[in-house]
Amino acid sequence: MIPVVDIASTALFVASGFYFLAGSVGLVRFPDVYTRLHALTKADNLGLGLLVTGLALRSGSWYTVAKLYAIWLLVLFASATSCYLVAHAARTGGIPVWRNERP
Amino acid sequence: MADDEPRISYVERLGRTSMRSVVLVALWIVLAEGDLESLKVGALLAVAAATASVALLPGPLPRLSAWGLARFVAFFAIQSFAGGTDVALRALHPRRPLDPSCLWYDFRLSGHTPRVVFANTLSLLPGTLSARFDGDRLEVHVLDRGASTTRSIAQVEDRVAALFGIVLPMSGEVE
Repeated sequence: MIPVVDIASTALFVASGFYFLAGSVGLVRFPDVYTRLHALTKADNLGLGLLVTGLALRSGSWYTVAKLYAIWLLVLFASATSCYLVAHAARTGGIPVWRNERP
Repeated sequence: MADDEPRISYVERLGRTSMRSVVLVALWIVLAEGDLESLKVGALLAVAAATASVALLPGPLPRLSAWGLARFVAFFAIQSFAGGTDVALRALHPRRPLDPSCLWYDFRLSGHTPRVVFANTLSLLPGTLSARFDGDRLEVHVLDRGASTTRSIAQVEDRVAALFGIVLPMSGEVE
């Protein structure tokens, strides 16, 4: 394997790990259900996108590349849909939106 | 079956079933990594799935514009970086800077599919989260009142409209 591909895919894996970690930190630190959903959807979209791109670089097969991106698309779709369902249930169920009271 | 579903002719039904079968067979070939032996099963399943698809969704599927799709993919990739980085920095920042709020956004897009794609795109992009559909408007939860405005949401709506080859009224105003 060409070292350039190795270096690029490793960098993508590290970046992906950073976004997943930050998403998890957000899940713990953010104040309410809505802001936590932000942390999960955004970080997972980018984290998985980078992971899939890194794996695609190493796969050496176009079929695998197509499959990896199909998985990413399915996860995006599932993520956006479940995010909407949770936010909608919280909103109609009357869970208040956390407001920043600090100036 | 529901009474309000559009009635389609036999020819239309046949045409749509074959078109969707072709797409599903292509998907099968990708999943089977080019193993054409497996098409014995795959082709059968693809035709069955296409038949079910036309029974459930008889109407024509919305057409995508190729140029709109290319621009949308580039826009989505760049915005995903911005959104992921923005939320990561807020999560890791010692003071956790957030100024969330909810706002109502009036759809300019019409049609079920474009609206759902738009709402889902908003949820994946920086600072916005679709929370509730209500008739012709959408409730959006924003992470930072100062950063996400009706104007920036309208920009996303323009990109989604372009994806479906639609030109929205007032779209010049948000550029």
